[in-house]
Amino acid sequence: MGSVTVSLVLNGEQRTFEVPAGRRLLDLLRDDAGLTGTKEGCGAGECGACTVLLNGLPVPSCLVLAASCEGADVVTVEGLGGDRPLHPLQRAMVERGGVQCGFCTPGVVTTGAALLEHGITEPLEQGRRLAGNLCRCTGYSKIFEALQAAAREPGDD
Amino acid sequence: MDLAVQRVLRPGSFEEAVRVMAEHPHALPIAGGTDLVVQLRDGRRAADVLVDLSGAGLAFITARNGVVEIGGATTMDAIANSREIRDACPALAAASRLVGAWPIQCRATLGGNLANASPAADTAPPLLVAEASVHLVSADGDRRIQLSELFSGPGETCLRPGELIRSIMIPTQHLQRTVREGFAKVGPRWEQIISVASLAHRFELDADGSIREARVAVGSVAPTPVRARAAEQFLAGKPPTAAVRREAARHLQDDISPIDDVRAPAWYRRVAVSVLLDRALTEAADG
Ligand code: FES
Ligand code: FES
Repeated sequence: MGSVTVSLVLNGEQRTFEVPAGRRLLDLLRDDAGLTGTKEGCGAGECGACTVLLNGLPVPSCLVLAASCEGADVVTVEGLGGDRPLHPLQRAMVERGGVQCGFCTPGVVTTGAALLEHGITEPLEQGRRLAGNLCRCTGYSKIFEALQAAAREPGDD
Repeated sequence: MDLAVQRVLRPGSFEEAVRVMAEHPHALPIAGGTDLVVQLRDGRRAADVLVDLSGAGLAFITARNGVVEIGGATTMDAIANSREIRDACPALAAASRLVGAWPIQCRATLGGNLANASPAADTAPPLLVAEASVHLVSADGDRRIQLSELFSGPGETCLRPGELIRSIMIPTQHLQRTVREGFAKVGPRWEQIISVASLAHRFELDADGSIREARVAVGSVAPTPVRARAAEQFLAGKPPTAAVRREAARHLQDDISPIDDVRAPAWYRRVAVSVLLDRALTEAADG
């Protein structure tokens, strides 16, 4: 299999990877960059566990070809807080019990952080936008409470 | 797991993409990849060479001279957010928000949704109702076809080897007319589903509330997304009363040829698409 070179900004750092041509962004993140926070659930775009931010928008990294991320800006759960140890949504998820087994959590917080970033605070719309992030544990209520709490947080940027 | 492809070519412009496609006749173009990556992974499609269109400048929406033009690699999210598209084809904006869930919408592209040619492609019925055309380009030249001509069967298009979808063009609407337009789909739940039946409608109403012109297109109930011509002809000139709605649903049955599959039996699709038409007509009557 041929290889491709991919240069991207990963969690704020300029990085270059040499990967097989058919590598998915998910595998570049987990295997090449060692960022195992991002999880693989279905590998088919159905569960949301692999969601990362690509140029500021949430995408299922299991469906993204690594080669197509040349020049892109990628943020994973590890980089979500930026300079802070945790993003306000991550903190709210911990404080309000939005995390149980944790498998869905990296995807939930990246999609959720994008919701807050885009000023989407209306609960019904938040629910629709989060519908691709499946959670087997929490029943979602605590996740929505955490989203509401993080949205209320003053000066969280 | 890596996909079984040997090379990914990444043209930096549309012209280069067309050239690269001509040099590699068996290559598959890839935009968002939300359908294609799964198909490659599951072995339902295979290719040694992929041509990545991310750098080909195909993500754009422009409005001029009575036409809204959407670049082939424009995402569902960008379409749903676009003021121009919400004005020219509100049903398309609505459908784009119902393709998968939000992260899929941020990645999936209009050209990809059409080229994949699923009978269930949610963007197709709204574009059929808008009588959209498609600009296709290959090294041999370019052509402009009606969207209805693009689909030739489930998963099949009239795209020639090396041909790319450059853009989709939608005629803008006459603002002085009273138009009711919308899109709805039926599936096991609201989000993240493949439609069991979908319907887009555009009814132009007369002052007395009767339907001057009806355009209806349906998905998942025939080998390709199709216009419902029998229902349209029946509805023209009629008021959307309960009796007319019932009769329209009967005519709609002649427009479709649904099949039984894992997602739903044919009879259910017939009922579901009738309900969608009935709702669209009821809403038109209620204003
Ligand atoms: S692993 Fe990507 S959506 Fe499930
Ligand atoms: S916390 Fe277990 S799947 Fe969400």
